[in-house]
Amino acid sequence: MKGKSKIFLLAVVLVLIFTQAVFSGGQKDEEGGAEKDGPIRIAVYGDQGHNLTPLEWIKEDAEKMGIEIEVIGVPFTAVYEKLKTEFIGGTGAYDLVIFYPAYLGEFAEFGYLKPLDQYFELYDPKLDDIVPAYRDLYCNYAGSTYALPYDGDVLNFYFRKDIFSSAEEKTAFKSKYGKSLEVPETWKDLMNVAEFFTRKKGDMLAGEILTQDFYGFAFLGARGFAYAWWSNIFASLGGSYFDRNLKPQINSAAGIEALEILDKLKAFSPPDVMNMGYEELKNAFLQGRVGTMVQWSDVWKKSNDPAISNIVGNCGIARMPGVRQADGSVYFRAAAPVGRIISIPETCTHPEEAYWIAWKLTTDISTECVSSSATGLDPYRYSHVENAEAFKAFGTLEESKEYLEIVMENLNHLFPDVNIPGSGEYLDTLDIAITSALSGSTKAKAALDTAAKEWDKISETLGRDKQKKIYNNMLDVWAEYGFWKD
Amino acid sequence: MLNNNRALTLGESQKRFALLMAAPGLVALILLVAGPLLYMFVNSLFVKTLATPVPPRFAFLKNYLELFQNVRFWNAFKNTMVIMVVGIPVQSALGLLMALLLFKKFPGSKVVIALFLIPVMITPVVSGFEWKIILDERFGPINYLISFLGAAPKAWLAKPVLAMISIIIMDTWQWTPFVTVVLLAGLSAIPKQVYEASSVDGSSSWETLWRITMPLLKPMFALVVLLRIIFIFKIFDPVQVLTGGGPGIATETLSVLTYIYGFKNFNVGMTSTLAVIQLIIMVIIAKLFMAIVMKRNAGSTE
Repeated sequence: MKGKSKIFLLAVVLVLIFTQAVFSGGQKDEEGGAEKDGPIRIAVYGDQGHNLTPLEWIKEDAEKMGIEIEVIGVPFTAVYEKLKTEFIGGTGAYDLVIFYPAYLGEFAEFGYLKPLDQYFELYDPKLDDIVPAYRDLYCNYAGSTYALPYDGDVLNFYFRKDIFSSAEEKTAFKSKYGKSLEVPETWKDLMNVAEFFTRKKGDMLAGEILTQDFYGFAFLGARGFAYAWWSNIFASLGGSYFDRNLKPQINSAAGIEALEILDKLKAFSPPDVMNMGYEELKNAFLQGRVGTMVQWSDVWKKSNDPAISNIVGNCGIARMPGVRQADGSVYFRAAAPVGRIISIPETCTHPEEAYWIAWKLTTDISTECVSSSATGLDPYRYSHVENAEAFKAFGTLEESKEYLEIVMENLNHLFPDVNIPGSGEYLDTLDIAITSALSGSTKAKAALDTAAKEWDKISETLGRDKQKKIYNNMLDVWAEYGFWKD
Repeated sequence: MLNNNRALTLGESQKRFALLMAAPGLVALILLVAGPLLYMFVNSLFVKTLATPVPPRFAFLKNYLELFQNVRFWNAFKNTMVIMVVGIPVQSALGLLMALLLFKKFPGSKVVIALFLIPVMITPVVSGFEWKIILDERFGPINYLISFLGAAPKAWLAKPVLAMISIIIMDTWQWTPFVTVVLLAGLSAIPKQVYEASSVDGSSSWETLWRITMPLLKPMFALVVLLRIIFIFKIFDPVQVLTGGGPGIATETLSVLTYIYGFKNFNVGMTSTLAVIQLIIMVIIAKLFMAIVMKRNAGSTE
């Protein structure tokens, strides 16, 4: 009996020790956030890499505010799935989340995010300073602000200034095509330019012998965001995702033609173009392998860094090519894939502290964020595009002004990502159709027809009537800014 | 009579004891295997998604019918089969060759065998990254070698056929050592006397290989092929890292597709349907394969 008592006593002691160890290992306050008498920990979620760098810049200020910032980075193409998994689980692992606006509609609709309007009194986010397209299309949902913009992503057309200004090249182009060599305004012009500049190793280019094969054009062909490179062409041909009845329009004549144009341009692109993501595409241009490309705005900043660029001073930026209209004007649209925004999850227990970080990044130090070569963040405020001085490190003041004007022009002609529940799945399905057709696995029409059928199935699964209502609300906002015409 | 009763009583008690001992294992099996399998099957009969708060709808076999009409499913099935049908014979042949070479003892043969096992020990994600670098169009050593030999470099991961070949090459690199080691164990188990008898009878090396080594290695071959079938059905990480299923869907396998349905689209119904179908296909293939091997073994024994 004595033995049994000893065992019982020992068991009780062990249980007590275990309980003490578990509950003392991180004593939380009643709200479940910070450790007692310590800083409040705010876990910030975002795609890893240079765009999370500004969080390091504000850590010192955060400490003074009693905030400890923990950065949680995930792969660029896995932002949706990781965040959605967390939202479904509702564990409250993140206090502040950086994600792509295409998912805002879904996250806001299902109550995963806190409306931010209630915190604006604490620190003014200067909403009037934000380019309206970004503020109202990408941060607003059903009349409430759920996010603040962090990265004003938009696609731009890039070209090599030196080869376009070469007298030899101008003469050769004129004799071949019967017109002057100019930065292409239309997709048709781009086709000629891309063909013209595609050369073999050993050929001459702008008076120099090529030491490697050279290609007239390049685009992002890797799975994930390739659909946006098609969207630029599709939208300029008058295409839209759905009609007002939620009937997919991606397999319309505009969709098929856009895919065929991109496929033809592929012939003048590097052989590994279908494996090119952001980094590979940027590097192909900066290393001097390609003459023109379509890319996000930050590449201009990187192009003038001699440590990573062979084309310092020769990076030209222009508005997106488009389609010439009967009146001679060119109709163009610039897709805006990615484009980071910051939100506070509904499960966050310290929203005011989280909001301070969001405000700091998107308002207080936003100019530093978008004008630093240490980040890939792009302008989204009027105060950014009007502050050419801040971008002077990357070129002359004139070049900076020209860069900002072009970015603004493309921002004013946005073709926003579809922003309704299920957008991740819709866009992924579209992306697969585009990359399948471009890689030669299937024909353009068949690929887009399949995607359109899948889109219908997605709509059915998510509830067609509800989806239709949300999509139409989205179009109404688009229409306000001239991005949609009935 | 008394003794018989006592024996009976002891037998029942032993049975009860055996059952008691097996109980934790059975409970774990039900909770961890049978339970989730049943849950997965039930889910496959529903239109159920976590992407929206829409309540699940019972749809009976709708998901199955949809999947059988889905181009992407058949594409993933075809890709998995291609890796299997091309990869396994190549790996078996190479594995056998390496096993025969390593079976001849030479100084340092144990070290060579240990080094040979490195690819199997490397995490698939790491090997995926390694091969991504090796196959890089511009900086990869394979293209460097090709250029050195005067041929044009290849965009290994950007063209559908080349991307599939790349996956098979990577899989072969990773799993041939496993085949080798299993066959080496099989070779070691063959009695020396059999070879001595064959030598006395004047058999050539070729005859010895075909008439003695191969038939005696058959059970090991069966084991290795069966395991490789199972592994290839589950192939995910190296494909995800190397090609992500691309270009397009050119290298998407059943496991990659399951992951996309589950963790990108959060479609629980379709993911479960796909998983059930894979399970059924795998069981059928394994059963068929085992039946064929058993029949042949029985034939050869007679």
